[in-house]
Amino acid sequence: MKGFLSHYRPKYIRSLVYMLQLSEYNVNDFLHWYHRTWDFSNVEKRGSLKYTSKAILCTVVAWFFVLMFLSIIILGLSPASGDIPHLVGALLILVSPFLVPYLLAFCIRIINTLQIPVEARIVARAKRKLAAHKAFKVAIAGSYGKTSMRELLKTILSEGRKVAAPKGSHNTPLGIAQFIETLSGNEEVLIFELGEYYPGDIKKLCELVRPDLGIITGVNEAHLSKFKQVSAAADTIFELAGFVPASSLYINGENEIARSRAREGNVLYSRSGAGKVIVESVRTDLDGTSVFLKGAYDLSAKSKLLGVHQVGPIAAAVAIAAQLGLSSSEVLRGIEKTKPFEHRLQPTVVDGITTLDDSYNGNPDGVRAVIEFLKSLDGHRRWYVTPGLVEMGDRSEQIHKEIGGQLAKAGIENVVLIKNSVTPYIERGLEKAGYSGKILRFEDMPKALTALQHMTVPTDVVLIQNDWPDQYA
Amino acid sequence: MKSIAVIFGGRSAEHDVSIITAHIPIIDTLIVAQEFDVWPIYISKEGKWYCDKRMNDFRFFKQTDWEAQVATWKPVQLSFDDGLHIVWPAIFHKSQKIDVAFPSMHGTYGEDGSLMGLLRMADVPFVGCDIFASAVAMDKVLTKEVVAAEGMSVVPYVWFTKAQWEKNADEFRTRIKQLKFPLFVKPVHLGSSIGITKAKDEKELENAIEVALHYDNKVLVEEGVEPLLEITLPIMGNDDIKTAECERPLNKTEMFDFKDKYLSGGKSESGVNNAYSEIPAQIGDELTKKIKDLGVRVYRTLGCTGIARVDFLVDDSTKEIFVNEVNTLPGSLYAHNWKKAGVSNRDLVLELIRLGEERYAEQKSRTYAFSSDILKKVGGPKVQSSHDET
Repeated sequence: MKGFLSHYRPKYIRSLVYMLQLSEYNVNDFLHWYHRTWDFSNVEKRGSLKYTSKAILCTVVAWFFVLMFLSIIILGLSPASGDIPHLVGALLILVSPFLVPYLLAFCIRIINTLQIPVEARIVARAKRKLAAHKAFKVAIAGSYGKTSMRELLKTILSEGRKVAAPKGSHNTPLGIAQFIETLSGNEEVLIFELGEYYPGDIKKLCELVRPDLGIITGVNEAHLSKFKQVSAAADTIFELAGFVPASSLYINGENEIARSRAREGNVLYSRSGAGKVIVESVRTDLDGTSVFLKGAYDLSAKSKLLGVHQVGPIAAAVAIAAQLGLSSSEVLRGIEKTKPFEHRLQPTVVDGITTLDDSYNGNPDGVRAVIEFLKSLDGHRRWYVTPGLVEMGDRSEQIHKEIGGQLAKAGIENVVLIKNSVTPYIERGLEKAGYSGKILRFEDMPKALTALQHMTVPTDVVLIQNDWPDQYA
Repeated sequence: MKSIAVIFGGRSAEHDVSIITAHIPIIDTLIVAQEFDVWPIYISKEGKWYCDKRMNDFRFFKQTDWEAQVATWKPVQLSFDDGLHIVWPAIFHKSQKIDVAFPSMHGTYGEDGSLMGLLRMADVPFVGCDIFASAVAMDKVLTKEVVAAEGMSVVPYVWFTKAQWEKNADEFRTRIKQLKFPLFVKPVHLGSSIGITKAKDEKELENAIEVALHYDNKVLVEEGVEPLLEITLPIMGNDDIKTAECERPLNKTEMFDFKDKYLSGGKSESGVNNAYSEIPAQIGDELTKKIKDLGVRVYRTLGCTGIARVDFLVDDSTKEIFVNEVNTLPGSLYAHNWKKAGVSNRDLVLELIRLGEERYAEQKSRTYAFSSDILKKVGGPKVQSSHDET
């Protein structure tokens, strides 16, 4: 009943526009969310509507529809009219809130279609500008770990070269084109993240970027609800291989699917090295990760990045630095400057309690790596806080059971679950693996975080693994 | 799910502090722990008992009109029939059985043993010290006498009641002259430094005694320790006793008065008594160990159970340790200190409940009643049976 009534509240329109904004005006995603949601009384949990011009336009359009329905009803029911029977009027009152999202979606679709030629012009202009640009262009593709790779590479290469890369997650043709517009022309290295949402996306982006070197960070079930099959995601990601010479394609050797698709001449990177860079020894703790490198360079450095899974990307970045001719001291300085990127295994220490914010890590490989890191911190009492992963498609049950199994085997003392459709799978995985620690369940992340303040003591480590955005809540 | 009543407020100068302790950390933690059905019982300054779950949220007490709101509620009654029940009187009255009680009252009627006596009569397990330790610890003079009798050091002191002072002030003045200034004048039964004054000379002493007598009818005048190192130590347990960290309050002013203790600095969410402390106190391993051992001795001597906090005065030059006082309900349970000692709020609150239940079970296992024929043996006229009359 509460859900039904929520359709008739003025806040309903705001919730619809908020979700459109959150879905980046992707009509399919928006409707998908709408069909899943019944109660609209508390949609803006984590964020709130930002009144951009597009959001204001949507709000105006939505209210226009509401007022249109209202006028039809009022005019229809007035004694002067009599054209519309009362029953039809009542029916219209009942159904109009359910029609508004579709009408809104229809309008957005028209706006998006109108934008196509405009965007195409912007992209074509950017493509011409970039083709004339002398910089060494690096393209990064993969289901996960792209932003971390971009930041790592940027930090290390910046010690010897002038590097530019789009900020945030600008990984669509328009986003990249807008970034290209800002280039001054004297950059020596450009790093691009390529986003894959549908087959052909990476090819389209590569045609725009024309990379000199490619990095594939891995392929897994992330965004599986869009691709349906992991192989389809892999095909799309590996479109990058067609745009760079084999020896200039770096592939994460620790990711099974990516490794299986590697061709002769490709550079596989892992915790044991990348190309001519050999990793001799690794040590990781809450302060960071120390590596001893041989081969292209002979140096020992400490990064603030946490976990041995960071060593492969570091090795790849160092190998690329070697290819670009950076000196040993520049590489050393670069590694020392690398640090966790926002919400990606980012530590903060308050009153002796370490919180690792890994809320942007929403993929099974990332989860495995982080659990492996937590396992190495056996001197600490550990709290693993998670709502599970989204967009895992048909593999969701299996993946979450595996996560439960990994947590049990790693001996994590406390598992804190933010209750939703997938957390029972994690519990089953824990149970099956004979988990002996404590399982705590909370309705939402803020409640869990408040509770943790009462449950933790100095030297405890709290890991926040993935935080579901509002469209999945 | 077991039901727990957290009892706070009360007819005490520390009424407001008690509301804070009840919520931060007790109720907040109990709600988070999801193991108990939590019933907040508020005792008004007039002594009326109220119970409403709206009071589980601390924000209720942040409203300016909360007292007016409470006054419109119907006070609850207590029933001791088969344990403790809270009863909301009405034609079809509602009643809630309480499985365990968590007293969270500072000062008179709460921390002094009165509430514990009531809960014993109700035959319900409760958290914290029992009636006897509470009553002794509430009296600063009695505490000193018990502790000194066991051979532990206390600073020289003189005490008197209001009536004694009014009758024989000069006699006490003479005795006080034996003490060295500066002196501390304290109401004997009050906590939170209320009514305590430091006197540097005789004139200040007279004023200080007047102030203290305003708050209490028994006053303590004791020597100040200089140079002073104040140390406080939270302790918990029944038979197995565990200490938290030695804590050194860092006083901004010369006197650690009420304002310093409760109203200045610190984040409000952390409860009371959290600001300006050094935890663990940097006083060296040897002194730390001595204080902890002495703390445990004091705890045992007074018969404390559950939780208490022992305060010490240390002569910073000679490192001589004096037992100052014992607090059987430390503000906010000194959760900030326990946390540093590796005990989370949740572990602290749940362990205290367990200790309360353990003591209750132990008391139940003892035999208090036994049959005797003593009544029969007592002389006097026999009750006439009805057929005698016929």
